[in-house]
Amino acid sequence: LFLSTAAEPWPENAALYQQLKEEQILLSDNASSLAVQAFLQMCNLPIRVVCRANAEYMSPSGKLPFIHVGNQVVSELGPIVQFVKAKGHSLSDGLDEVQKAEMKAYMELVNNMLLTAELYLQWCDDVTVEEITHPRYGSPYPWPLNRILSYQKQWEVRRKMKAIGWAGKTLEQVLEDVDQCCQALSQRLGTQPYFFNKQPTELDALVFGHLFTILTTQLTTDELSEKVKNYSNLTAFCRRIEQQYFEGHDKDSSAAAAARPAKRSLLR
Amino acid sequence: MAAPMELSCWGGGWGLPSLHPESLTVMAYAKFSGAPLTVNVINNSWRAPKGDVPVLISEDIVISQPAKILNFLRKQKYNADYELSAKQGADTLAYIALLEEKLLPALLHTFWVEAENYCSVTKPWFASRIPFPLSLYLPGKMSRDALNRILLTRGGPPLYSLTEVEAQIYRDAKECLNLLSKRLGTSQFFFGDTPTTLDAFVFGFLAPIYKVCFPQVQLQEHLKQLPNLCRFCDDILTCYFRLTVSGHSPAGQDTADANLQKLTQLVNKESNLIEKMDDNLRKSPQHPPRKLTTLKLAAGGGQSSPLNRLSP
Repeated sequence: LFLSTAAEPWPENAALYQQLKEEQILLSDNASSLAVQAFLQMCNLPIRVVCRANAEYMSPSGKLPFIHVGNQVVSELGPIVQFVKAKGHSLSDGLDEVQKAEMKAYMELVNNMLLTAELYLQWCDDVTVEEITHPRYGSPYPWPLNRILSYQKQWEVRRKMKAIGWAGKTLEQVLEDVDQCCQALSQRLGTQPYFFNKQPTELDALVFGHLFTILTTQLTTDELSEKVKNYSNLTAFCRRIEQQYFEGHDKDSSAAAAARPAKRSLLR
Repeated sequence: MAAPMELSCWGGGWGLPSLHPESLTVMAYAKFSGAPLTVNVINNSWRAPKGDVPVLISEDIVISQPAKILNFLRKQKYNADYELSAKQGADTLAYIALLEEKLLPALLHTFWVEAENYCSVTKPWFASRIPFPLSLYLPGKMSRDALNRILLTRGGPPLYSLTEVEAQIYRDAKECLNLLSKRLGTSQFFFGDTPTTLDAFVFGFLAPIYKVCFPQVQLQEHLKQLPNLCRFCDDILTCYFRLTVSGHSPAGQDTADANLQKLTQLVNKESNLIEKMDDNLRKSPQHPPRKLTTLKLAAGGGQSSPLNRLSP
């Protein structure tokens, strides 16, 4: 699928599209976007972040973020990793087969538990929906479009939650699942700097994206970020990646500016 | 440990104790951890629970999902994972997530959505175990739920037609099977020589694909090209479920089986400990593990030929 573009080098004007940083973007989309930004930084590929209110509709798969490189548009971390690999950059080449299997399994764990928990919190927890999600999601649009769009999205997400069996869960159970997932990640990371020792891989980018967003986003309660803070090696991991890949860049691509206004920075 | 525990689940066929992946996972875990479960196969009566199968009933407690049932068994001290390190426990969670995301959609599709399979095999089998007139409605509902789940989790744009979604989920499932095969390698179970939660889940997902004879079998054919996974399923079936080639294990043998099972596990663990001590003493790793011989003692020569077991 990407063979035709393999010959072209990475252009200077590659862009990553996401929703509006300050007013619109939600927890889960922010996490996914940050994961892709971290991955591209780790591959040393320049990218600039472009915020558009209708980014979700521009995306070929309806999911964010997506990157626009040359004349190709690719969305979501999985396909982006493959696309970048076709261009000759890969973070996981040094892994053997068993390690690659492990890496894929852990990435599915993050998608299965962390991302689903974020979606649950945003769209199925009534307090959060009322106070944060509805006002933010439709904020660029005039009434009544803003309410219609957010109700439509909420209905879609709730249908999916029901199909995978999460609709019956309470918030406590979801938080317990997050805790279990963080415990697994913490145990896997141990005292190493990255998940596969010395070199970061796409798994590190994905975990960083989600954990950093959870830690630095202000929600109605602190319970979600408290779950992550229980594991000191995970917070140290996030700090390390933030310092290594996001410090000293301009505001647009900095991770610190990617979170919502009332954030608490890890470094303070 | 005192309270008797009953498990209600779907029954088996084609050499399996159950056709339903989640029921099979729980049954396998119970065998691995030595938990004394009485298995009630759902038959054609109104009393058996129809939704949320498998269901564990212990005195007044009713627990329904596999993860919760396994947690309950662990709290009752039936723990198949106590020898695992923390990292291996984390790996277990990760691989289970991989199974659910990548393999389950194709499994659901093979059983419930693929038209030929569903009409000729799945529907008659389930309908015959559900009382009339629920048998007219429930299989159809299970099929619709399966399709719904596949479309909602995997069917977004740019895949617009069902055939494209199908192609994608089977690609993912085959990749998942390859990853599992690489991870298993040549060892007996995923974490060494004793089976754990992960083995129960993998077995629960793989065995139905491996054994049930469908008209459309692309996933089964792919699985048969991975001999270590086939050997894994067959080993568990012969050693822990004591199934013969021709069909189900006789009902009255359950307590004898449980005792023999515990004895086998003790013997296995002792021989593992002895081998570890031997290795430490000799300080050189030239002795290959001799696990198969101890299993032969218990299974009575069940390791003879894999060819016998492929016939339904």
